[in-house]
Amino acid sequence: MSEPTTGFDPFEAWRKMQEANMDAWAKAMVHAVNTDAYAKATGAILDAYLTASGPFREALEKTMTQALQQFSMPTREDFISLAERMTNIELRLDDLDAKLDSIVRKLETPVAKESK
Amino acid sequence: MSSSTETLVDHFRQIEERLGTLNRVLGTRAAIAQTPKQLIWTLNKAKLYRYTPVVPEEKRHRIPLLLVFALMNRPYIFDLRPGHSFVEFMLQHGYDLYLLDWGAPGIEDKKLKFDDYTLEYMPRAIRKLQSVSGSEEFSLLGWCIGAILTTMYAALRPDNLRNLILLTAPLDFSQKDKITFSRWVDERFFDVDKVLSAFGNMPAEMIEYGAKALKPFENYVGNYLKLYENLDDPRVVEAWHAMNTWVTDNIPMAGETFRQLIVDLYRQNALIENRMVVGGELVDLSRIRANLLTVIAEADHITPPCQSETIVDKVSSTVKETFRISGGHIGIMAGSGAAKRTWPHIDAWLGPKSD
Repeated sequence: MSEPTTGFDPFEAWRKMQEANMDAWAKAMVHAVNTDAYAKATGAILDAYLTASGPFREALEKTMTQALQQFSMPTREDFISLAERMTNIELRLDDLDAKLDSIVRKLETPVAKESK
Repeated sequence: MSSSTETLVDHFRQIEERLGTLNRVLGTRAAIAQTPKQLIWTLNKAKLYRYTPVVPEEKRHRIPLLLVFALMNRPYIFDLRPGHSFVEFMLQHGYDLYLLDWGAPGIEDKKLKFDDYTLEYMPRAIRKLQSVSGSEEFSLLGWCIGAILTTMYAALRPDNLRNLILLTAPLDFSQKDKITFSRWVDERFFDVDKVLSAFGNMPAEMIEYGAKALKPFENYVGNYLKLYENLDDPRVVEAWHAMNTWVTDNIPMAGETFRQLIVDLYRQNALIENRMVVGGELVDLSRIRANLLTVIAEADHITPPCQSETIVDKVSSTVKETFRISGGHIGIMAGSGAAKRTWPHIDAWLGPKSD
């Protein structure tokens, strides 16, 4: 009896290879990333990117800030400052809310006792 | 049509169906975090939810439980999908359950530190929890960096904390050769000031890359092959879809918190050595008196067991237990075996201590 025809599966070859070598690959890769050499290489790539992009980023930020100020528009720093103030207000409101909760509970307790 | 042509047509139809499934799973978000809950408190981006109890009040445990997850992932891993949810499990076992969702920090939050999370946010969220639950005492469950936060809180504000559960807690950074992250963020190779100067917060993409690069073959190749091989099995596909939705939904980490994580913890190991100062207060782990359960994942590549083992020797708790379980950092709580092993153990430990 002939074997059933199998259709085209683009991943078949890759899957067979993976099944055969999965553990070995996985262990090798885990070992490779847990080395000083890998840490040094990725650190160097990140550092190179930050060094190269830094001047452009700074120039863009400076230009944007100046442009926004020229048009009397708020800058990112203004929004950050505003957001921080909002959070501080939220903190105070939260404390007030908790105090109100506590007062309401204290007021309710004697009423409950008296009604018994 | 000849049988060989029919076979070919069937085969192409199967490929079409598989590609449809693949597109859906890779291109859409799974329906996750479905358990009903109410928002009861907010502060900045942080939100406190109370899950709707499913057990009558008289049968519920008296002490509420607050779940605290990491800062750079979404907390709905606790409630991944119906039928496979720690939240669902705990509600069914009678817990009054709360979740603290830190939210995604914006650039305006880049100055937030562990100090803010543990001394400004957590005490206020807990105050609300106490008010809503009517119980002064409470339990905390922290997972990953959430375990760092809950440990700090437990040491700084030990009053009323009855039980502390730490899952895969990265607390001890002394064995640097066993912690891959320690190697990567070593000051010889990683300039944390330069990164934060450029980005403000630690970008989610970099955090995701870091987590995946610890096991590059499994995460970048094996994971997708597993999906492809099981495209005809809806059970596996739906589990994969839900997990992938969570894994790819990372959030940035507030810049100053990230700096503390790298400098104070990964490099200087200040927390476990009782040298960590938060908000001007020394985090003295011996002040922790709560009943302590620390859960260690034997095959954890993000938080190797050596990072979670020593905490039990540092605390003053009279009841303390280390529970070791086979599995990975996330798998022990969200994997297929979690409902049979980890969750029942947590319930068995916590239940009698919550009445």
